[in-house]
Amino acid sequence: MESSVLSLVIFLPFLLSFPLFSFNRAQHGTARWYALLSSLLVFAGALYLALQFNPSSGFQFEHTALQNWLGDSMDVKYSVALDGTSMLLFAFAAFMFPVVVLGSWERVTTNAREYYFFLLMLETCILGIFSAVDLFLYYMFWEAMLIPMYFLIGVWGGNGRGDAATKFFIYMLTASLVMLIGILSLGYISREMGGTFTTDYHKLLQLELPLSVQNILFWLFGLSFFVKAPLFPLHTWAADVYSESPTGAVLTGVLLKMATYALIRFNVMLFPTASANFAPLVCTLAVVAIIYGALVAMSQPNAKRLLAFSSVSHLGFIVLGIFSFTQEALQGAMILMVNSGLTTGLLLMLVGWLEERRGDVRLSEFGGLKKNMPMFSAAFLIATFASIGLPGLSGFIGEFLTLSGAFKSTTLQTGLYAMLAALGVILSAAYMLPMVQKIFTGELTSERNAALSDLTPREILVAALLVAMIIWIGVAPNSFLKLSETSSQAVIEFVTQKSASQALAK
Amino acid sequence: MPNDYLLSLPILAAAGWSVLLIILEAMLSRAALTRVFAMLGFALVGGLSVIGFPLQGLAFSEMLRIGGFQHFANIIFCLSGLLVVALSEKYLDDENVHYGEYYIVAFISVVGMMLLAAAANMAILFIGLEMMSIALYVLAGLMRRDVRSNEAAMKYFLLGAFASGLLLYGISLIYGATGELALHKIAIAIQTGSASMLFWIGFGLLITGFLFKISAVPFHQWTPDVYDGSPTPAAAFMSTGAKAAAFSALIVVVTNFSTLLQNSPTWSLVISSIALATMVVGNIAALAQENLKRMLAYSSVAHAGYMLVGIAAATPDGYSGIMFYTLVYTLMNIGAFGVVALLESKENLLLASDYAGLFKHRPMLAGAMAVFMLSLAGVPPLGGFIGKYKVFAAAVDAKLTWLALAGVLASAVSAYYYLRVVYFMFMRDPVGEAISAPATSSLAFALIAVAVVLLGVFPTEILRITDAALKFAQLPTQTGF
Amino acid sequence: MIYINGLNIETKTTSRMDAQLTEFGKVFLFLLVGVVFVAAGFITSSLIRPHRPYDEKLSTYECGEEPKGTAWVQFNIRFYVIALIFIIFDVELLFLFPWATVFKKIGPVALIEAVVFISILAIGLAYAWAKGDLNWVVPQPNRPKLPEKKFDKPAKKKVAEPAEPAPTA
Repeated sequence: MESSVLSLVIFLPFLLSFPLFSFNRAQHGTARWYALLSSLLVFAGALYLALQFNPSSGFQFEHTALQNWLGDSMDVKYSVALDGTSMLLFAFAAFMFPVVVLGSWERVTTNAREYYFFLLMLETCILGIFSAVDLFLYYMFWEAMLIPMYFLIGVWGGNGRGDAATKFFIYMLTASLVMLIGILSLGYISREMGGTFTTDYHKLLQLELPLSVQNILFWLFGLSFFVKAPLFPLHTWAADVYSESPTGAVLTGVLLKMATYALIRFNVMLFPTASANFAPLVCTLAVVAIIYGALVAMSQPNAKRLLAFSSVSHLGFIVLGIFSFTQEALQGAMILMVNSGLTTGLLLMLVGWLEERRGDVRLSEFGGLKKNMPMFSAAFLIATFASIGLPGLSGFIGEFLTLSGAFKSTTLQTGLYAMLAALGVILSAAYMLPMVQKIFTGELTSERNAALSDLTPREILVAALLVAMIIWIGVAPNSFLKLSETSSQAVIEFVTQKSASQALAK
Repeated sequence: MPNDYLLSLPILAAAGWSVLLIILEAMLSRAALTRVFAMLGFALVGGLSVIGFPLQGLAFSEMLRIGGFQHFANIIFCLSGLLVVALSEKYLDDENVHYGEYYIVAFISVVGMMLLAAAANMAILFIGLEMMSIALYVLAGLMRRDVRSNEAAMKYFLLGAFASGLLLYGISLIYGATGELALHKIAIAIQTGSASMLFWIGFGLLITGFLFKISAVPFHQWTPDVYDGSPTPAAAFMSTGAKAAAFSALIVVVTNFSTLLQNSPTWSLVISSIALATMVVGNIAALAQENLKRMLAYSSVAHAGYMLVGIAAATPDGYSGIMFYTLVYTLMNIGAFGVVALLESKENLLLASDYAGLFKHRPMLAGAMAVFMLSLAGVPPLGGFIGKYKVFAAAVDAKLTWLALAGVLASAVSAYYYLRVVYFMFMRDPVGEAISAPATSSLAFALIAVAVVLLGVFPTEILRITDAALKFAQLPTQTGF
Repeated sequence: MIYINGLNIETKTTSRMDAQLTEFGKVFLFLLVGVVFVAAGFITSSLIRPHRPYDEKLSTYECGEEPKGTAWVQFNIRFYVIALIFIIFDVELLFLFPWATVFKKIGPVALIEAVVFISILAIGLAYAWAKGDLNWVVPQPNRPKLPEKKFDKPAKKKVAEPAEPAPTA
């Protein structure tokens, strides 16, 4: 049946992960080839969906099952579908997994079976998060994701891995349990207003929630997403998790912008009036995050922590783009979500490779690497420029659209936010370029640095793939923008109309 | 009259089977054989409950109330008994206390639980409770050469007797106030007249007796000491079967008085406060425990708190949530206790830090334990989450959102100490020699873990059964008159 | 009595507020008369009897055994087993008396039930017998081997062997 294709793609990685346990425990070579092929297969499936996708219409590939999942008194079911907003991120997530498997090819030597098992399980959870259109199902995927993440960080991470994993888990669990109360309240409110307890996204969209209820629910849901995002001041877990996690876990679990996607999908769509009301507050936090993240990044002696704070800063742009409520800014935020995954992902992977070779990522340890690692330097430079937002690369498109959209925003009413945020672009150059300078320029001072070898062909392939994507988005953004165009248009129209009608009712 | 026997067939079969076990033990004195027959008996009684599921009615001069609820509870008790008996042998052998009486007493305790859940009359309620409790005191003191086990049995007995005393006094006051012992007749007496002060005092004492049994705060102090000193499988039995039984009896009592209680703001406030205190105290005390048995004891206090949230909600959804919760809790907690028992008896390992590197040597056992821990913490898609979801949903429905919010925050706290075990198993390198355990038991735990996962992903049918099972318990006066 | 009486009136009926005795009241009266009767007997006899104590008269048993030492000695544990088994049959009797009063009304089912009841108790006796608890002379004490004291040494045995480096994978 055509409609179950999406479910198949979502659960394919999970199903394919079980044969891993039949492999010999010592043979990690087989396990990683198998994992690569599996994730490529999933990517092929996602690509097929993306090609079949019709950008001009709404939700597609709908598949529902498990009617009345939690007993007859609750309209809770398994229900997945994709629209423009999620299609882009869905395909991007599927793209990142083979890249990650390739990127951490040599890294995992102990318990490889389990590593790839958790990675594939994580892929199912993430694909599920991007396609769930039932709040309960979404919550299941959202929380289930913590399990593979916890193990990936805790077992295969750096020295402080156990604490980082626990910290990550507790932060996420606390925040999302609060969201659970939000989901329950919303369900019972829907019963009071329309008959049955429901967590069906389409049905919940029809509700006309009173503003006071929206205000409370906005924060019950938002807290979870702001922690995960992470938005200032809830970002305190990020630096530890970035620096202690294995690269693969960070790239897939944290950098894929599930939280910001969820902000659009749930917070903005379900509570449009509250979102519009709180937009100035959230945007203020976003601008603070942009500048704060950049300033803290400047003072970091460790490359991984620096990248962690730079991603806090990038996140600010995305949130600003979402809460500006113009189509331009929203499209910019969509591109930024992909861009953040690509550029910070590439940088983290490069830093990870450096760590594999050198066992250290402190900036003070390096210098003059461009002499013996030319390919590495080139890739790093391109990623840095994309991250700063140089025209022609992916970062520029996103930041430009976001800032110009935020400037014109009628919800925010002032261009001040955009102007302050633009400061962040300058600051990003101020922390990224010194890092490049410290690592690559100057003389090769230490012998250990001189002994470092350049990228292997496999690593070049991974870097080239990501660089190609960065340039593709930078040069021809339309092929990506058109996927989410109709959807973002619809989001903006929906929100404006809803909040206008509520303002009228008052 | 024959209908009475048909209705209460599972209880009669269980009672008969326990006599059979005694004869068997008297004649042959072979513990291993008694064990096999005890397991067969649990399977038989559970099977009878499954077959007789649709039967319902009052039996034996309205002394017993049999319905879907009771059958479901019976299945939980038998499951708990079966699993505990299955994993006891090795532990008892290692502790040199492998007596056949252990299995007989466990079986008699299950008969008591079944009577407790099926009580339509407060006399039966008391008999069932005592039958269950006295058997449990014996189990707690099984290792009679061990001072800790003696202490556990003594403590459990004294506090349990005190709780029984309170309960009995409550029953007598209720009888004094209404002149009835049958629960549904008391309900009618109260509906026609009004609940007097005397009734409320009696009812309060009755509920206090139950709160002792489920170890709700502030009546929980015995729990850690008793669980710590008892043989570990017996502790698993107390925390699952006995708790499930006390909760079923509590549900039976409160459903009978549902109209009265739903209109009483005091009741809701009192139970909510106790639930809140139980969740908070249980979780915070568990944070500080190094010894895994004590940690699990406090965690069982905390879980009693989550279940009480369903009682506080006082809706059918809440009660059916508790029933589902007890089922999942039985599986996951026996699993967790079982792993502790396995490593404790073999290697004398009781601290979380003793589990360091278990994953390296025994990946399947470590994986199963991780599933139990995460499920106890309430992480989807595991069974423990659905249980919590149901009771918290009922609380939100009953306008107790603050209680649900406190509950989820408490369970976020609980994640920390459950994860500590996982942390040591997976993220630390092994210290000392390899921890060994028989491969067959790893497989058994893996099967329980799979059951916990399946209950989390496909709870629909079970939830439908619990919803339906509650219907008869909900309508106290439909039959019988 | 007044307390119970008052509540009884409150819950049952409100019409009988006059000084009629309830069932509890009759019991209380019975009790009162009993206590007064015995107490009055003792008091009168102590007032009118002669008072001449001597050693034999003050000993525990005025005729027969001479008590040696104190009564607080340890009994053989086997007495308790016998006592327990005795109690079981004591209780059985307690149950059979009310059963006998309704035997005619219920008919043959009552007979079957009583037989089941008695045989369950008999099985208990048989069990104690089979397990050797009724043997007065026990040739060898059936003492199980001492279990290892698991609580006495907290699980810290790794400290004892520090030399071996932890294997790392």
